[in-house]
Amino acid sequence: MISEIKPIHAAKYGMTIDVDRCNGCGACMVACAVENNVPPAHEGATDRKGLTWLRVYKVDNGEEYPNHRTAFVPVMCQHCNHDTPCVHVCPQQAVDLDPATGVVGEMPQRCLGCRYCVAACPYHARYFNWWDPAWPKGMEKTLNPDVTPRMRGVVEKCNFCHGRWHAAKQLAAAAGKLAGEPVEYTPACVEACPTGAIRFGDLNNAASEPARAAKEAESFRLLEKLGTETKVYYRSKREWVREIAQAPRPRQSGKEIARG
Amino acid sequence: MKTTRRDILLFAGGSAVGVLMTPAPWRLITDSALWSENWPGIPRPARGAITAKYTNCALCAAGCAVRARCVAEQPVSLVGVAGHPLSHGAMCAYGLAGHHLPYHPARVTRGPVEEAATAVAGAMARLGANERVAVLDLRPGRTASWTYRRAMAAVKNGVYVEVGDVGNSAIDLTKARTVLSLSVPLLEGWGTPGNVIAARAGFHLIQAEAVESRTAAMADQWLRIKAGSEEALGQGILLALGGQSTAAAAEATGIPEQQILALASELKQNGPALVVGGAGSQSAAQLAAQLNDALGALGRTIVARRDAPVPDGWKKAAPAVDLASVEDGSIRVLLIDESAPGAYLPWSDVEPKLVRDNPVVVALGWTREGYGRHAQYLLPTGVYPEVAEDIPRAVDSVEAVFRMAVPLVQAPQGVVKPEEWIAKAAGLEVGDTLRERADAIHKAGRGTLFTYADGKSVATKDVKTDDFWKALQAGACWMDEVEPAKRPAAVKVAAGATRQAAGSANDLPLVAMLTEAPSSPLLSKIYQESNLKLGPKQVAIHPDEARAAGVEDGARAVLETLAGRIDVEVRVDASVSRGAVLVARRAAVLDVCGAGVRAKVVRA
Repeated sequence: MISEIKPIHAAKYGMTIDVDRCNGCGACMVACAVENNVPPAHEGATDRKGLTWLRVYKVDNGEEYPNHRTAFVPVMCQHCNHDTPCVHVCPQQAVDLDPATGVVGEMPQRCLGCRYCVAACPYHARYFNWWDPAWPKGMEKTLNPDVTPRMRGVVEKCNFCHGRWHAAKQLAAAAGKLAGEPVEYTPACVEACPTGAIRFGDLNNAASEPARAAKEAESFRLLEKLGTETKVYYRSKREWVREIAQAPRPRQSGKEIARG
Repeated sequence: MKTTRRDILLFAGGSAVGVLMTPAPWRLITDSALWSENWPGIPRPARGAITAKYTNCALCAAGCAVRARCVAEQPVSLVGVAGHPLSHGAMCAYGLAGHHLPYHPARVTRGPVEEAATAVAGAMARLGANERVAVLDLRPGRTASWTYRRAMAAVKNGVYVEVGDVGNSAIDLTKARTVLSLSVPLLEGWGTPGNVIAARAGFHLIQAEAVESRTAAMADQWLRIKAGSEEALGQGILLALGGQSTAAAAEATGIPEQQILALASELKQNGPALVVGGAGSQSAAQLAAQLNDALGALGRTIVARRDAPVPDGWKKAAPAVDLASVEDGSIRVLLIDESAPGAYLPWSDVEPKLVRDNPVVVALGWTREGYGRHAQYLLPTGVYPEVAEDIPRAVDSVEAVFRMAVPLVQAPQGVVKPEEWIAKAAGLEVGDTLRERADAIHKAGRGTLFTYADGKSVATKDVKTDDFWKALQAGACWMDEVEPAKRPAAVKVAAGATRQAAGSANDLPLVAMLTEAPSSPLLSKIYQESNLKLGPKQVAIHPDEARAAGVEDGARAVLETLAGRIDVEVRVDASVSRGAVLVARRAAVLDVCGAGVRAKVVRA
């Protein structure tokens, strides 16, 4: 007979990214690709057809020198919590919003490659495998055993390092935690960021760094007017950065840079 | 009942529509996606015991401490070691994918080792009185560099040529309050990334540069000077500090005279100040040293640094010289060690130093993208993380350090160890030089040993000799004692990664950006699959210049300099100044930029 039932609180994993600290080094992009077995670029890949689960955009305020200012904005799947566009449009139920973690997951095995989700994503954060995944000879030995490489013809995206979450869950279970209880882990980009600009944690835990940072006055989310209630928060003291985050296509002077 | 053609058509049509109403076709599509998921074209990651190993990144002099996650002894990811006193757990994008280098498509694993040895021995036997045997060391300051110097002392007319040594002066960023960088990529690979980031909040950074680099973007102030006018700006500040006119500097740099005066005043008043720059030429380096002297930086932000001890027996070694001091047409045998990423001298600088008739040039490297394109013999070497090697001192490391890259994977058969091969060619017998050096450091008894697995520091004198060596092999860092800041005897503040920009012809000045090519193929994420950085085959120009040259964004074009031409892809970028062309540094580009750094972009 069960004498006591412990209530289990679902997690809501989220991130805060301090734009003022990001120096655009690209370490997060590379660490993400290493962790998630994202293959190197095919010869024909461009910034439109590449696979970058996390992409750092260089944006500026559009002013001429000496008033010209630049910032670097890392953008990955924003893990929309409300009216998640990619979930709505997927005809194969290959995308779901996990109520236990708040993570928008992608199941490439179910994906048909229709790319409705790519078109629907307002953050240009979903990527299509235009080519067979290929690594230079021998380099496949360096693949992470916790993540399955994806095939040509499916869509993929950031899942807050699901493999790491899974490993953390197993460790927690071994330590006696109940299944479904939030676990602590660190995604690869957070671990790799040399400036500490990216922080990760449970937004439902008021003591976590992202939960605290999300409430700050300088905190903002991308395209807030869409009401998607994303779980990736940004922070900047610069007003023009906060403004640019609400534009559908951030601009770099001379050319548009946000390409899906 | 008679079956008509109409009935058959109706049945077939009805069946087709009916089947669509069943789950069968949709299930078939789903299953075909599932079945094809495991087709043999997709590699299956290997499985095995997961362990952590420690090493130091050998891709640059920063030598960041590394924790490698290994699956069945194979490293699958790298991350910094938190708590490291110098690298502070940070790593750059190149270092994070360093474990891919052994599998680089340009990797060389076979070469004419015996033929090269015979050719070198023959040439050394026939050496003329005025002819020389030279070692070109692209990464001085290592234990191997000592072996090369000893080898050149042991042969007739031996000369040891080094490129890019930081000397015995170091930059203490933690002491600086104002830093003026003359086109030096201070925040993008110049020093130890973690150390620079940790010190960044403590100083006001002014970046004088023709293009809006990442350093310029993250600086507190960006001074957009004309390309190639760094020396003129330095000269102007020096004049302003002496109370003289800066009109000429204002004209040359495009910066108003008043701004130069304000800059000089700021450097003077908000000290301790530091000027970093002067990589382009000897005169530029001297100017930077003069500026720092005038600002009182010597002994405060630029300090003397001791070397890590070496065995007494090694001190009978050839002196280190730079290539410019070697007579033209004098080198009969040239041995180039490019097994580790380091500086690169354009081939047009090296070639005139060779004798005209049949010089023997042997490049020892792991890729064919460097001097192997020019040498008669390219001998394959191991590459990080296959080989045990120590890492030279970083420009921003105030204390002497000794740390090693530890082999994490086995080198392929047939590769040579440059140090052993060159020593053998010179007839010098060497043992385990890394061990000898470690023993000498231990014998000196100075400093502390920081071990990565437990994050602890222990005094060197409290560790046994064998344990000291074992710790270094398991990923550890020896750091010398901190001494009171002293004025260095000679200043090489420009050392470390630098950008070039100079010239006076009518074409576009050329500014070379940093890339650590060849790097992991996965670095395509930051240049080919996104626009974050300039790729190794790309150039960037202002939209106005692109219009003038008749090229568009993404177009194929040709980069022309006085020394040659190279095919490139154009990126049109408004953050590049008008009148400049931005290129990524790599051997092939630097070769054509050797004779003069003016360039122009023309339609392919």
